[in-house]
Amino acid sequence: MVDFEEVFETNSMIKDESLDVRTITMGISLMDCCDPDLDRLCEKIYRKITEKAKNLVSVGDEIGLEYGIPITNKRVSVTPISVVGACACRTPEDFVRIAKALDKAAEHVGINFIGGYSALVQKGMTDADRLLIRSIPEALSSTGRVCGSVSVGSTRTGINMDAVRIMGDIIRETAELTKDEDSIGCAKLVVFCNPPDDNPFMAGAFHGVTEPETVINVGVSGPGVVKTSVSKVKGESFEVLCETIKKTAFKVTRAGQLVAKEASARLGVPFGIVDLSLAPTPEIGDSIADIIEEMGIERTGAPGTTAALAILNDQVKKGGVMASSYVGGLSGAFIPVSEDSSMVRAAECGALCIEKLEAMTCVCSVGLDMVAIPGDTSAETIAGIIADEMAIGMVNQKTTACRLIPVIGKRPGDHAEFGGLLGSAPIMPVSRFGCGGFVNRGGRIPAPIHSFKN
Amino acid sequence: MSKTIVTLVGKDHVGIIAAVCNFFADNNINILDIKQTTVGDYINMMMIVDTDKYEKTFAELTEGLRTVGEKVGCLIQAQHEDIFNMMHRI
Repeated sequence: MVDFEEVFETNSMIKDESLDVRTITMGISLMDCCDPDLDRLCEKIYRKITEKAKNLVSVGDEIGLEYGIPITNKRVSVTPISVVGACACRTPEDFVRIAKALDKAAEHVGINFIGGYSALVQKGMTDADRLLIRSIPEALSSTGRVCGSVSVGSTRTGINMDAVRIMGDIIRETAELTKDEDSIGCAKLVVFCNPPDDNPFMAGAFHGVTEPETVINVGVSGPGVVKTSVSKVKGESFEVLCETIKKTAFKVTRAGQLVAKEASARLGVPFGIVDLSLAPTPEIGDSIADIIEEMGIERTGAPGTTAALAILNDQVKKGGVMASSYVGGLSGAFIPVSEDSSMVRAAECGALCIEKLEAMTCVCSVGLDMVAIPGDTSAETIAGIIADEMAIGMVNQKTTACRLIPVIGKRPGDHAEFGGLLGSAPIMPVSRFGCGGFVNRGGRIPAPIHSFKN
Repeated sequence: MSKTIVTLVGKDHVGIIAAVCNFFADNNINILDIKQTTVGDYINMMMIVDTDKYEKTFAELTEGLRTVGEKVGCLIQAQHEDIFNMMHRI
């Protein structure tokens, strides 16, 4: 029989510590929509998404009501569009028409983001990949719900530096086209190394080609819950600290597993994975930086931060793995700047700089996320930052990513406002020394020696 | 058996439990367990109820309890028991 204390604990987590299930994401394969006629292709894409995901939002709300736990986002990810559009698109503008069909479908089913406007070019670019990448600035500035990602590296293949260099230009162009809204287009664009096929979190979600026809992936969250439990073991040893985080992560993940199984059963769509992530929101108390500071770091970014984050990331995985039958996606602690009010505070007071963030990405879930940089940052420098982040992922066999926002017209000391869950961020200074001679070399960085495991 | 956990918090006064119990009786919902504490002027209550014979939807149940809660000045919430079993049991 359910115990009074357990009910009280769960409901305190939900009401006072912002426990939620961050997202139910339905992955939909668009492979069967391929058609050499662009109009027919767009129509098929629209029909398939609106048919498969028609009950996604209502079922998500229903589950949230029955279990009394908020399900913050309901979203859709699709097969990388560079593959789906290859047979019909001959220009970047053709791809933009697919982006608009995705946007319309997302609006129809009532979701705020749809992911998969993507290309996987870690080893090389097909003509279609190149066209899709070229179309990204227009696609993301002329739609509101479409999210894009480009995978430019992997441990197995090395880093496609041609693509890295192009992404420097693409990020700048996207920023320019959305400069009236603090370059928000870049908040919907992720550059990846080693991306997972089943990530439910935006902006980097896409439905990989190895995935089934449709699938339900769920992303859990709960930084506030972890912070509260860490605050109860102040001054205790690392053993106690780690055990505490692990047990909390177990409970949080179990809620996600329950929601995932229910959503899968009610929608008639196979259950894929639970992504064991700690994802912050700009809301006070829903912060990863707060957990790090609760562990004993004065301000996030101070010495000890990387070790504290490494503990958090590892214990979240250890607690979560046993709580779910299938674990996948990104699974770890996210460290976006703008989406985390205490990360913003740390950046504002000078405790956290972009170089320290880069070090933290070696042990966090993903990478340099929602980092606002000066609007006059050159494409070469952006490419250099991306190359560094991709190298960390490639060598350490982990997913890394960049979601950088050069905010046009703004400089260090200024602020960018993105609104909603995307939050706001101070403009963080980047190195004034260049890297053009390096990133303009062209070609690929070979795969690291430890990738040859066969 | 489909079990639902009902929790109630609010300022204590005469008739709160009676109002909730009447609502359950009117809707064919059987009470399996009930626990309550009062701290100062406040009441904190939890019930485990069997909703197998309840004929309406879960949304109607939560709405009905919200209305009862408004009448007695308390917050009443219903949740399926699985969320607690999942989070606290291996």
